[in-house]
Amino acid sequence: MAVLRLLWRHRALVAVLVRRELDARYRASFLGFFWSLLNPLFLLAVYAVVFTYIFSPRFPGADPYPLFLFSGLLPWLFFSGAVLDGSLTLIDNGPLLAKVMCPPEIFPAVTVLSHLVNHLLALPILLAAMVVSAVAGLHPFPWTFWMVPLALIPWLLTTGGAVLAISVVSVHYRDMRDLVGHLLNLLFFASPIIYSLDGLEVPAVLHRLLALNPLTSLVAVYREVVFTGRVPSPMTWLMAFIVGIVSWWLGTRVFLRYRETVVEAV
Amino acid sequence: MKGSIRFEAVRKVYRWRGRRNRHETLKGAFFHRRLRSRRGTAEEHIALDGIDLEVNPGEAVALIGPNGSGKSTFLKLAGGILQPTEGTVEVNGRVTALIELGAGFHPEITGRENVLINGMLLGLDRREIESKMPEILEFADIGTFIDEPVKIYSSGMYVRLGFAVAVATDPDVLLIDEVLAVGDEAFTRRCLDRLARMRQRGVTMVLVSHDLDLVTGFADRAFYLERGRVVAEGPTDAVVARYRSDVAGDEVGGDLKASEVDVADADRRWGNGDVEIVNVELVAGTTPQRLVPSGSPCRLRIRYKVRRPVEDFVFGIAWHRADGAQVSGHNTDLAGLVPRRLEADGEISCVYDSLQLAPGDYLVDVAVHARDGLAYDYWRDVLRVRVTSAVAWPGVWAPPHRWESSEPLWDD
Repeated sequence: MAVLRLLWRHRALVAVLVRRELDARYRASFLGFFWSLLNPLFLLAVYAVVFTYIFSPRFPGADPYPLFLFSGLLPWLFFSGAVLDGSLTLIDNGPLLAKVMCPPEIFPAVTVLSHLVNHLLALPILLAAMVVSAVAGLHPFPWTFWMVPLALIPWLLTTGGAVLAISVVSVHYRDMRDLVGHLLNLLFFASPIIYSLDGLEVPAVLHRLLALNPLTSLVAVYREVVFTGRVPSPMTWLMAFIVGIVSWWLGTRVFLRYRETVVEAV
Repeated sequence: MKGSIRFEAVRKVYRWRGRRNRHETLKGAFFHRRLRSRRGTAEEHIALDGIDLEVNPGEAVALIGPNGSGKSTFLKLAGGILQPTEGTVEVNGRVTALIELGAGFHPEITGRENVLINGMLLGLDRREIESKMPEILEFADIGTFIDEPVKIYSSGMYVRLGFAVAVATDPDVLLIDEVLAVGDEAFTRRCLDRLARMRQRGVTMVLVSHDLDLVTGFADRAFYLERGRVVAEGPTDAVVARYRSDVAGDEVGGDLKASEVDVADADRRWGNGDVEIVNVELVAGTTPQRLVPSGSPCRLRIRYKVRRPVEDFVFGIAWHRADGAQVSGHNTDLAGLVPRRLEADGEISCVYDSLQLAPGDYLVDVAVHARDGLAYDYWRDVLRVRVTSAVAWPGVWAPPHRWESSEPLWDD
């Protein structure tokens, strides 16, 4: 809560820094902000071709597969991108922390929020794809799409917690970034993003392990809302929110524990 | 009271994991834990040790002292960038630290946007910054460059803009760390003029500088810091005079205090710590000296500690001048000594029958390392030695010599 209060107090600064982050990213490029739309569009186009014509995986309720994949991948890209950038955010902003007085929580927050903005910019592409496939009769339109903001809350909490923790830990241990890269890779395949847990033919032990993955419920909530078109069960919601809250809580604890020594270490 | 600063029994201790290899790795954390716990306090650096002081509103004070005496740490504590390990720091009013001008500028975005962000970081809101923009632009004097990305700025434009934003925040307390030394002469003059005008408005200022003339011209009161303690405080002239005489005294006597200051400054030291250099002294006669007459016999004595026995070791010494020019380098390997085994603490001396150096200041690096170069302990500038002579010989070499001629050309 302390972290949230502080961020709220500095909300104007955070907003300006998020803008700077996005501005600086596209400043020197010809298409500028359109990249936020084009990136997911290209991604979707490639998947559509590969997974329709080259090979087409079959999972119950995962049809058409490119859209199924895309709806799992979008929030994952938000999460993994923020976490990866989070491992560098305090180090990159070291000069600011050491020479100007500013609270370190600002930088992880800026990382998460700028990735969130990118994610929100990709949502219209997803929506458009859903409309197109509904019109083409491939897939019924998910009328639950409007619940996306709700489904994003646990994602935001989870990502926020993870980024807070990783940002301070990587200041003290510089090889954290490599480790994070590998862990993300593992987590990616351990989460039902490219596959669906339903009808997955693996040993029961593995199935149970995969179901224990905290991200599973997050992926489920998001995907049911934007793709399946079903209101997630209260149990799924509950799980997702518990994961988010626990992650946020743990993240802030780790952050506060290392916070004081950040300036000395960067 | 707005603009006052109060330090009460402030201690600041840096505990830095693996100071030797500054970027600690996870592997290192597991691997070296045993080694580190045995080293104990080696990784602690006491930057400030019980500071009590008060600065009144509207006062201009200066902090002087040798490098590593805690001046910058003091500013960072006063600026709220660091927290004290013990004691209380109380600063009233808005504080701005001029520690590194333009520290927060992002190269890809324009000067104007950077001013906005920097101003907000310094605690202004958007409206305040926009109302101050003309004033900032006038001081920075960079014309239309303000709407160009900062990455194309010259370094002069960069610091001018940085200074302009920082002083535009209307601080009650301004902390200044050597920033006046970064620009050209015109910039320094303009900054000083600006600071003088802020002084008239009653802004409290704390200045850290090695430029003692600037200090005496600027501050009403000075604090002389050494090894994290205030050793003298009072009217600037008196404190500066005391400092000058101490600095001169260090150069004349065999004063050990100064070498302990060097020990504290770990920036110039690295190595895995298997063998640790404990201290290095230049012994002339029977006592350690920092002042040696040219041509006199002396020895460089290295005390070392062995953390882990090694069979591959080389002790080395490098002499260089303060301006960086290499003078001489010698080590036990070049001398043809074959290492046997280093397992107990001890001392080793390099003996000079005659120190044939021209008068001047010399710095000595001492290292113990493996033959392939892996450093156990490498200590740059561990010792500063002043070589004296009645005559100012140019160059670095002062060989004993005489002149001969076929004809009597000179009076006896």
